[in-house]
Formats: sequence, structure tokens, C-alpha cells
Amino acid sequence: MNLISRNRRGWRQCIKPFIAVAVVASGVATTAVIAAPQVGASSPVTITYLTHWGPTQVNMLKADAAAFHKINPNITVNFQAVPFGNLLSTIDTQGPSGNGWTIAGIYDLWLPALVDGGLAVNAPSAVASDVKAHWPTNLVTDVTKNGAVRGYPNEVDLYALNYNKALFKAAGISKPPATWSELVTDAKMLTVPSKGQQGFGVITDWAAGVVHPWLSLVDSDGGSLLTGLKPNLTSRAAMAAANLYAELVKAGSTVATMSTANAETTGPFLDNFTSGKTAMIIMANWWEADLQTSMGSKFSDVGAAPIPIGPNGTKSSSVSYSWLTIVNGKANSAKQAAAWKFLQYLNGPTSGKSGSSGMGDALISMGILPSRLSDVTAHKAQLNSPFLKVYVSELKNASPFPTVLGGEQMTDTLQTAIESIDFGTASAAAAMKSAQSQITSILKSANS
Amino acid sequence: MSALGTTSMTDPVAEDRSRTKVPRRRRRPIRLSKVLTSVAIGLVILFPLFPLYWLVISSLKSTHELLQAPPSWFPAHPTISAFKEAFDAVPFAHSFFNSFLYAGTATISVLVTSMMAGYVFSKYHFRGRNVLFWVIVATMFMPPIVTLVPLYWMISRLGLSDSYLGVVLPWLANAFGVFLMRQFIGDLPDELIDAARIDGASELRILWRVVVPLMRPAIVTLGVFSFVYYWNNFLWPLTVLETSSKYPVVLALYQLLSFNMSAQYENVVLAGALVASVPTIIVFLLSQRVFVQGIARVGVKG
Amino acid sequence: MTAGIQSAVSFPSRRRHVGGRGTRRSRRLHEGRWAALLLSPALAIVICFVFAPIALTIWISFHNWSMLTPITQMPWVGLSNYRTIFDDPVFRSSLLDTLIYVGLVVAVTVPLATLIGMLLYFPRNRLRGFARTVLFATYVIPTVAVAIVWGALYEPSYGPLAEMFKAVGLSAPAFLSSPSTALVSLVAFNIWQMLGYYTVLMVAGLTLIPGELYEVASIDGAGIVRQTFAITLPLLRRTTTFVILIALINAVQVFDPVYLLTQGGPINSTDVISYEIQRTAFEYGLAGQASAMSVSLLVVLAAVAAILIGLMRARSR
Repeated sequence: MNLISRNRRGWRQCIKPFIAVAVVASGVATTAVIAAPQVGASSPVTITYLTHWGPTQVNMLKADAAAFHKINPNITVNFQAVPFGNLLSTIDTQGPSGNGWTIAGIYDLWLPALVDGGLAVNAPSAVASDVKAHWPTNLVTDVTKNGAVRGYPNEVDLYALNYNKALFKAAGISKPPATWSELVTDAKMLTVPSKGQQGFGVITDWAAGVVHPWLSLVDSDGGSLLTGLKPNLTSRAAMAAANLYAELVKAGSTVATMSTANAETTGPFLDNFTSGKTAMIIMANWWEADLQTSMGSKFSDVGAAPIPIGPNGTKSSSVSYSWLTIVNGKANSAKQAAAWKFLQYLNGPTSGKSGSSGMGDALISMGILPSRLSDVTAHKAQLNSPFLKVYVSELKNASPFPTVLGGEQMTDTLQTAIESIDFGTASAAAAMKSAQSQITSILKSANS
Repeated sequence: MSALGTTSMTDPVAEDRSRTKVPRRRRRPIRLSKVLTSVAIGLVILFPLFPLYWLVISSLKSTHELLQAPPSWFPAHPTISAFKEAFDAVPFAHSFFNSFLYAGTATISVLVTSMMAGYVFSKYHFRGRNVLFWVIVATMFMPPIVTLVPLYWMISRLGLSDSYLGVVLPWLANAFGVFLMRQFIGDLPDELIDAARIDGASELRILWRVVVPLMRPAIVTLGVFSFVYYWNNFLWPLTVLETSSKYPVVLALYQLLSFNMSAQYENVVLAGALVASVPTIIVFLLSQRVFVQGIARVGVKG
Repeated sequence: MTAGIQSAVSFPSRRRHVGGRGTRRSRRLHEGRWAALLLSPALAIVICFVFAPIALTIWISFHNWSMLTPITQMPWVGLSNYRTIFDDPVFRSSLLDTLIYVGLVVAVTVPLATLIGMLLYFPRNRLRGFARTVLFATYVIPTVAVAIVWGALYEPSYGPLAEMFKAVGLSAPAFLSSPSTALVSLVAFNIWQMLGYYTVLMVAGLTLIPGELYEVASIDGAGIVRQTFAITLPLLRRTTTFVILIALINAVQVFDPVYLLTQGGPINSTDVISYEIQRTAFEYGLAGQASAMSVSLLVVLAAVAAILIGLMRARSR
């Protein structure tokens, strides 16, 4: 049937049109893609605020935006809420075009890369002075990159030892452990395999949840994660913390399979603590909201204590990190200006109740520590609750998690190492050694 | 065709004879093999059914009951509060409309483009036809993640990010559709087409008047397949869309998942999952016979 | 048939061209133009949105790109990304995880689909149709929904599966919570989702086997087992190869359940290649390396596909 192939000229004439169509189509498409101008905005201005918060807090922000709109009728703020697991990829994919988010709430570890990519633009001088005047120095430094303030710090988070007072009473332990050796002894006493109860819980499947509590122990032993750009994972303190975990796992006081977290940072590790199957766990202040909703009245059983001090440590020191709101440098200037204006309002003392800012109110509703000094004063009472009091007082001793380029990959690599100790698939020494070499090269290539 | 199964345990010749000559006894002794078969089929039914059962009862449980360990196997006080909460938390109702728009447009376009392409690949002859066909079909292998980044970059440069067109544009044609249509149209005898051509019909006319009417099973199969595939598609709309009012059902469900603070909201999330599954199940049930046959035919011809 | 068509559709009659090279050539030209017209929409879409992105991915793999800077400003790094990823133990383990996952899925699902296909085809049973429907229905449910349900089923404390194990006196496996069981748990998830689809394909293959073969065999005294191995399986080979191909494509593309349920863990035990690519591009901002991973994946898949398709077409000859 293939008469065509016998006549080459005929074949070429058959093929020509369709090749032509295909080439033209792709040519047009490619040209369009490369030459397409960016879509601009006209006034009135509409900006988008990207966040990972749940509906309660988003509604609070929406109310603030509505109040702002009354004062500035030509600025409309829309909100885009995505699940936490998807936040960074949304920031990365929808940022560069300039038509996506205008304001984003980001984790400070992401700031260096976003600054490099032009997505975290310099704050105007009015904003920069606002930040410098009303925030503690270490947080101002945190949001400053390449000499310029990049946004408004909002939440600051740190870790403490959470424990179940009822279980402690049942085991006859009067107070929470203050040192590592007390931790090991208490954990052993609090482990009741027949009830499925573990003495000391860890977290797996979530990078910050794995690394930060462990690092807090390292910091409380007088160690640190990095010196400049060099990791200290084979140092005395890091090895001691790794061995501590190995010891707890070996004694059965830590059951790794009870530690799973899901993409929303909840899951079995939380459920086991709220249902009284985990006696102690190192966790951050912001899970207070989760605890209260899950435990109801039993929340009064929850106690918080400073991180246990290591054999070579002098004081308890927790890892801390913060979040900030940045403005997209790829958005047009009208949108950027509108965004800074809104942020100034949201973080200022007029947007919230009784001298607090709207942002401060939203944070406190989640049990999160606000960072603006006037907010801390305005919410003194809530911050004085038995649970949050411990975190607030430990804030001054906290060691901020280093925000360097390659930080995400570094955290994931360290996570793998610690998890392998949790599950007993690697020895503490082997895991730390492997992490040390991998992280050294990761940081080197990211910062070259 | 019934040789494997009940009759292999007895002498088939005798069995045959007994069937034709002797009138059937009213009560046959129950064979062990038949019991075993029924049990096996029962297990086969239980396998898909149990998770679906769990989905339904969990969405009807109250928050408190959900946290019981050991879990209850039937809701003590069934309530639809979880469904109400799901619809309040995310714009579920509107997301159905969006899904319908995305999946419907894509399906119609896939049907049209695949039919035309399948017709050319099966009824025309030109040098390089087979190579071109297999190159296109080879793209079926490609995991979507591979092209996600450049594809998003292209769409956003065209100014189409967070738009209905941006979601649907890459979906207007697909390799599987071309593959399927070529298989089905290839079954049509060439004489049919030639006769129409001799009578002076234009190609479009032939397609529309000759090929399409005979393609009903293929259209149903490809139509249902595409509709289900694009309705369930998660990664691409997740990457492209920003405003939740444009979200399809699967993204609304994902948003709902983010509000799952702990196990006690699991009933809300599961209620959402149940609601999200209903449309595709209905479409499937309505077209089951033809669809399953069509898919099977693809495999047989494959 | 022809008469039917002629009566059903009335074409304007034209003077017939009698043979000769002129007719054939003009018909070929005519055909050529129509080929172009009819083929171009599908071809244009596939070229623009499949081939062009693939080409771009290959191009990006030779550069460093954080996706935050313009694509026209990417620095060229040649093969350095490829060297980095193959030196990276995490990437290598993701290749291994993917291989194990795909291998397990295919090794379990295909024989299972064959067995169930035979079960739902040969013995006459009133529940057959219902079984086929329910089995196939799992395929149409959105993966997000399936992931949510299985997340609930796999729950260590409130989950029914754990309960069932405890009820028979066994200690419940850790499912998604332990590196030794997480990947297998995801395999079970995929099997649940896809089994119906592959079973239907198998049943279709079974319909092609003439019944007489079985009758002859049983007259010769062959039992079920012998008949299966001598008749059914050999004659199913073409369908089986096709199902293996489809199962492979589907398994290699796994992403949603990993993204939603395990995030690659614990200890990267469920870090399949698609998840690793997504994480490297969007979390680490290393689109160049992610593209190198994508290209490596494509090469492997192309090789496997070529082998399998070659097998399929050889057998059909």
C-alpha cells in the first residue's frame, strides 16, 4: 500500500506541509514564550499575601486587611493559603514572574537564597527604621542580609522539654530532668512497654523536628552546629548528643516507630504525647495550640522545662529560629509599595487590640511568641502562662539556627543521620562521620 | 471455557453425557471448589471494599469517637457534621465546578485531537509515519515531574499562571489518546475509507460521517479515561494555580488536609476525601461496561 | 458494507478519474495536506508541551539554576551536575528505592492480576461482575483521597490495620513509621489502587484463548494446574508483557503518596526518584541538578521501554 515511498518527490510534498505546520507552531510558541512581556498592574493595586496558616488565623489577617482597606481604599490584599509542605515550592515557582505572591511569610533559613534570587527586596528606609526601633537586635540581624533589612520579623520559636506531669507523678519523679544523666534515668523509669509508653520521644519524617531538638541538646552541652561554614558534627558535643540518642534507643526508652510526623507537622508523634504514651519530648512553643485542641482539659498535665544540660555544658540553650514577611522584588513598584504599606500597618500598634499589632494577635492565638517588643508587653499575661513562661525566659539563652545558603539540604542530610541512629540502622559514630563529610561539601558548593 | 473450575474435578466426558442425556437433578451437591471459589471472590471483593468502607464510616464519626483506640468498626452516633465542616473550611462546592471545567475542556479537546491524529496514523501512509507514532507514544513513559519546572516557566512567561487556560493548555492533547485512537481506527477496514474517498468525500467528511459513528466505544473509553485522569490530576494545578477560588476538587481536598491539626480532624479530611471521590465513581459506574471493554481492547491489541 | 455507507451518506457524485500516475500523485498530495492538517493540533500540543520542556530540561541540566533568576542568565557547568548527583549517596539511594518499589509493584501486581483475572473469568459465579466493578473502581478515585484513606488505615494508634494485627495476636507492623516497612506499605497502596485496572486487562487477554483448547486438554486428563501452565500462561504472554509495561510506567511515576504521606522518609527509605527531583528543585533550589536527575531517569526509562516494546512487537510477528 505504500505507493508514496516509491515516489520521493511525492513523499516530500506530503511531509512538507506538516513539518511546516509543526515548525511554525513551535517557532511561534518559543518566540511568544521568550518575548512575552510581563503582566503589569494598574492602580488601584491588588496584592497577594502568601501564608501557610490555617483558616482561623487567615481570617484574622483578612479582618486586618479589611480594616486597612478602609484607610487605603485603593489597596486590596488577597490571601493565598497553602499547606506548609507546599509553601517553599509555591514561593519558588510563583515568585519569579512577579505576578504571584507579593508578600510571603518565610522561614528565615530560606532568606539567603531568596535574597540571591531577587525575591526578597530591600525594605524602604521608613520600614527599616521601624524594624530597628521596635525589635530586639538579634532579630533585626536575622532579617538583615547584605546590609539591608529585608522584612518584618514576626514569630520567634524555640524548644523546651515538654513532659507529662501525670506520668511523672505515677512514676514517682518529682521534677523534670535538668541534666542528661537525669534524662536517661527518668526516661528509663517512664518506659512501660506493656502500656506502649516510651520515656523520651523523638520526631522523624520532618527535618526541623528531627534536627532542632537534637541540636538543642548539642547547644546545651556547649557545642554548636557550624563554625563559619564548617560543620562540627564530629566534635565532642555533637558526638555526645549522638551517643545520648543511641543510648536511649538501646535502652528502649525511645521507640522510633512512635515518632512519625506527617507533611503538616502533626501525626503520630503528637498523638502519642497527647494520649499519654510519650512521657517527654523536646518540642517548640507553637505546638501549644495543637496540644490544647487535642488534650482539652488534660492540657494542664503538660509541663515545660529548659533543655537538659549536658556533662560539659554550663547552661541550657535551645535552638531558635524565626519567620519573617518579605516583599517580592519581582513585583512591580506599585505593588511593592502597597505591600510595605500594608506590612507596616499589620505590624504596627494600631492594627491589633490594646496596643498589640494585628500580627501579634494572630501569633498569640496560635501560642506563638510575637517578636515586636510592644507586642510582648501587650500580651504579657498570655505569655506568662505556665507553658509559655518557660519558653519566654529561655529566649535569651537561645542559639539561632544558622541561616546559610544550602541550609535546607544541610538540614535534610543531618536528619537522615539522626534518623539512622533513631532506628538503629547506623552507629552514632558512622552516622555523624557521614553527615560531616556530606555537609562539608554541600555548604562548600552552595557558598562558592 | 468453563473447563477450568468446577468440571475439572470430575470426568468431563461423563459429566457431558450426563448433561445431555439425563434431565438435571434439582439439587446438586455443593462442590468444595465452588465454595472455595466463592470465598476467593469474596476476598477479592473485600480487598477494595474495606478501605472504602473505612472511609465512609470515618467520615460519619464524631471527633471524639475518632480518637478511640482501639477504633470502633461502626459509628456509634453517626453524624454529618464532618461534611458540614469540610464544606465550610474550603470552597468545595465551587471546586467541583472548576474540576468540571478543566476536565471537561481537556476531554473534549483530547477526543478531537486524538481522533484526527489516530486517523492519520492508521489510514495514511508516509515515510516516517511509524517512527513519528512511536516517538509520540514514548512520551507516555515520561514521569510528569521531569518537565514540571520548564513547563511552569513557559506557562508563566505567557502570562498564564494562575489562570484557567494555563491549567488546561498542556492538556489539550495526549499521547495515550493518539495511541488508543490509532488502535481502534486501525480496526476499521480500509475499504470503507477508500469507498468514501472514491465517492469524492473530503477527509473531514469521512472522519465525521464514516469514522466517528463507528467509534462510539473508543470515544466512551478515551472520554472517560481522560475525564478521570484530568479530574484527578494533582501536581500540575498545584503548581500553576494560586487563588483558591480556581482550585479543582483535588486541590481543595489538599487544602483541607493542611487544616488537619491532629487526628481529631481526620473525620473532616476523610469526609472531604469521600466527597471528592464521588464524581469520578459516578462517571465510572455509568460508563462501566463500555469503558472496561475499551480499556481491555487496548491491552489486547497492545 | 459499501452500499450501506453509500446509502447512509450521500456524497455529491463526481466524474471518476480513471487511473494513471496523475491521479495517484494528486491523491497523495491531497492526502499529504490532510495529513498535515489533521495531525497538526495533536502534534503541536505534544511538541510545545512535551518535547520542548524535555529539551529545556536537558538544556537546564548543563547549567546551575535556582529558578529565582532569569533562565537566560544561568551559568554553564557542563557535566558537573551529573558528576555531583552520581556522587551523591542520597540520589543513588533514591534510584535504588525506585528500583525496589517498581520491582515489588510489578512482581506482586502482575501475577496477582493474572490469578484474580482467572478467578473472575473461568468459574461461573454470580458475584463476578460486582467483583470486577469494585476492583476497578479503586482506579478512578483521586490519589489524594486514596492517600488520605490509607494514611488513616496505616495509623499506628487509631488505625484499623494495626488493630487487626493485634486482634490475631501479632504485633502491629510499623507501616509508614519505620524505614524497613515504609516502602512496602507504599507498594501495598499502589497495588490497591491499580489492581483492578490490570485485572481487567488480563481478563481481556483471557478472552482471546479459545475454549476448545481447555476441553481438549481436560479430555487428555490435564488438571487445572497443568492447563494453566500449558495453555493459559503461554497464550497470555502478549497481554502480560503489555500489563508489565503499563505497571512499570505507572510505578515509576509515583509521587503523590510519597509527597502526602512520608515525605521521602523515614531515613530516605521512600525517597523515590520523582520525590528527590521535586525536593532538589523546589526545596534546595538546585534546578540544574534536578534536571540532570530527570535526564538520567529518562535515559533509563527509554532503555527499558525499548526492550519491552521490542519484546512485544517481536512476539506479535
